[in-house]
Amino acid sequence: IGNKKEINKINKVQQHSKMPLDTRRITGPESSISPYSLLTHNKTQPQVPPSGVRPDGREDDKIRPIFLKTGVVSQAQGSAYIEQQGTKMICAVYGPRAVVRQEDFSMKGQLTCEFKFTPFSCRYRRQHQQDGEEKDFSVQLLEALEPAVLLHKFPKAQVNIYITVLQNDGCALAASITCASVALADAGIEMYDLVTGCSARLAGDRLLMDPCSLEEYSSVEDTSINNGSVTVGLMPSLDQISAVTSTGEIQFELMKKAITQCVSMCVQLYPVCQNSLTKSIEKKVVEAAT
Amino acid sequence: MSAPMICCPGQRLCRQEGNLDAGRGAYTRNGFIYASLAGTLHTVKNEEGTTIVEVFRDIEQITVPSVDALVTVKVTNVNARFCKCAIIKVGKTPLRETFRGMIRREDVKATEKDKVEMYKSFRPGDIVMARVISLGDKQSYLLSTAENELGVVMATSEAGASMVPVSWCKMKCPKTYNEEHRKVAKAQPQFLEYSVT
Repeated sequence: IGNKKEINKINKVQQHSKMPLDTRRITGPESSISPYSLLTHNKTQPQVPPSGVRPDGREDDKIRPIFLKTGVVSQAQGSAYIEQQGTKMICAVYGPRAVVRQEDFSMKGQLTCEFKFTPFSCRYRRQHQQDGEEKDFSVQLLEALEPAVLLHKFPKAQVNIYITVLQNDGCALAASITCASVALADAGIEMYDLVTGCSARLAGDRLLMDPCSLEEYSSVEDTSINNGSVTVGLMPSLDQISAVTSTGEIQFELMKKAITQCVSMCVQLYPVCQNSLTKSIEKKVVEAAT
Repeated sequence: MSAPMICCPGQRLCRQEGNLDAGRGAYTRNGFIYASLAGTLHTVKNEEGTTIVEVFRDIEQITVPSVDALVTVKVTNVNARFCKCAIIKVGKTPLRETFRGMIRREDVKATEKDKVEMYKSFRPGDIVMARVISLGDKQSYLLSTAENELGVVMATSEAGASMVPVSWCKMKCPKTYNEEHRKVAKAQPQFLEYSVT
């Protein structure tokens, strides 16, 4: 505040006597507007119309193509990068390493997840610290991954999973489930199965698979019935669902339909994950042979 | 030689029939053997004639200290009753991050356990070969050097030079020729290399 007063004083002096400009400080423009006022996103209209083409031209039951790559963070034990068109994130897995502050002795290992949006990833700038939504996602991600990991193989140790979302265009949680399980496999941590994630948006009578950020559920929306979203984490080979989360108000029949559709989409994702892991193992085998 | 098959976690490998069993990197469920690691598939024949199905990752296997494992530690604190150390290597694989270990006074030597003086056995900074005797408590693993081949492998003298072992309880500094007390590991003859001078 002291600085501001000084700047104002200097500006006032400059206005009166045309003295040389203040070269020590970088002054911003005298008037500025928030960039959010320039957004063309119309909030009064419902985000998902009852019928019609989706913003990116997909059909209601089509998911976006996925790109997966492992071994992108050299410091980490294992890592993976996932791109689902606009949604891009990196997952780094560290461990098994010693637990720093352990409450009690346990023969099972621990798994911790930290989910973070980078400040530039979403439409509106995010905080540097984890906010409530990111803490929620961290817990949900942990719930989805824990059943798949053989925790008894690393007693007294912990595995840390860090998700960094570089760009969020919808379905961040679903993509993070897939990305994290591929990163865990890349780290060499024993798992019962890979976990793939998929989410769906329900709006009125429409069931949209893999919603982008414009279609995503927000609680500030209009009050039609069947307004919400569902995210499913599935272990395809064991045919077991490891996590289901949903927000909003959804009728039970539609919820069942949404989960069934999500499960079938998760099964479709499985070969992509296997492919990316196979490619990285092949590369390592070739490198070891030469 | 055919390229080894690459598998992913959760991939069903085979049926768990009479002489097939799951080894490292694989698990059994509902009568089938599944892979639990992303790596190359290997089958090994056991002494009893059973074939063990294993999945290997060629790079460093995930190692967490387990009971009866040989570990390399670096001593951090020395107390009258025990010494604290950082486990830097398990078997042959170096760890990326250290685990905590503890060597109690009664686990330093196999005989004359009550005559052991910790300050004459270990000093901070020593590299010690030890064996894990138990998972210990929530903070540290319990280690033991109560064997001839276990004990101090590398140590620096007070003058700062790397000491040379003289006997099972003494090490000599090459600079000052001072002898310092340590619980020294016995050099196994098959690993000794004599230099021609």
